[in-house]
Amino acid sequence: MSAPPSAADIEALVGHEFPGGTYTIAHWENFLLTECTGSEPLPDGLAHPAVLFHMPILGAGTSIGGMFALGRAESDFSIGIESYDWEILRPLREEVAYDVRGRVTEADRREGALRGGPRGTYDRIRFRFELREPDGAPAAVSTITWTYLRTA
Amino acid sequence: MNARPGDAIPEWVMESVRPERMRTMAAILRDPNPVHWDRKAVAALPFGLGERTINQGPLGLSYILNMLMDWAGPASVRRITMRFPKVVLDGDRVTAGGRVTAVREEGGERLADCEVWLARAGETPALEGTATVALPDA
Repeated sequence: MSAPPSAADIEALVGHEFPGGTYTIAHWENFLLTECTGSEPLPDGLAHPAVLFHMPILGAGTSIGGMFALGRAESDFSIGIESYDWEILRPLREEVAYDVRGRVTEADRREGALRGGPRGTYDRIRFRFELREPDGAPAAVSTITWTYLRTA
Repeated sequence: MNARPGDAIPEWVMESVRPERMRTMAAILRDPNPVHWDRKAVAALPFGLGERTINQGPLGLSYILNMLMDWAGPASVRRITMRFPKVVLDGDRVTAGGRVTAVREEGGERLADCEVWLARAGETPALEGTATVALPDA
């Protein structure tokens, strides 16, 4: 196991850019995801807006596990959600190759209680992903803010 | 559609959060975290949650999206910002609710700003936040 990151290590993540790439929501993927939400399929090839979690992450060339590793999470259980902020500028659709860019916009060390637990040390990392349609028009922005609990 | 500040958005109910949906979602998300698919891993955590898997945050958020889309249309959601003060567990019955806080015009659209939440009956919200939806003309 590697040494725990210092506060400076975490702050240095600001500006980190993921490789970027494209992501196309397949019909089967949208169908299954929509079923998981308890909704009927949406009309006219619309993607369920809940795709705005995984589609930007995978499209930007990273993964949930990769984002855990970037913040040097102690374990899967040490990650918490502070907030998700999704802006939908154009309705998202199946079978469209969205261009995705992602980067770390904020990262810092904090002290406090997470979800009513005991006070402790945690790192807070904010990721911003931008999606564009094939013609370059902005389609959506997903901002994910996670906490990484430190016990070591 | 008429909407005014103070109007309640019709509730959307998930009668029982199902673990098999979390497993499918974990595969779609490529989410390696076992709290979403391994009950014994959750039971081993020091949080007293028992043998019940933890619903993915985006899945809980999706119930609120369903409420908004049922109310204003499938392409109506413009923005949603959520916080997650509590976890939702398999077997939970949760209700998505909301209230209009403002109605305004922007970019040729009539937009409703809303407070939104997801909660178990009688409890403070597990998810809470704000949303903006475009109101249909009719």
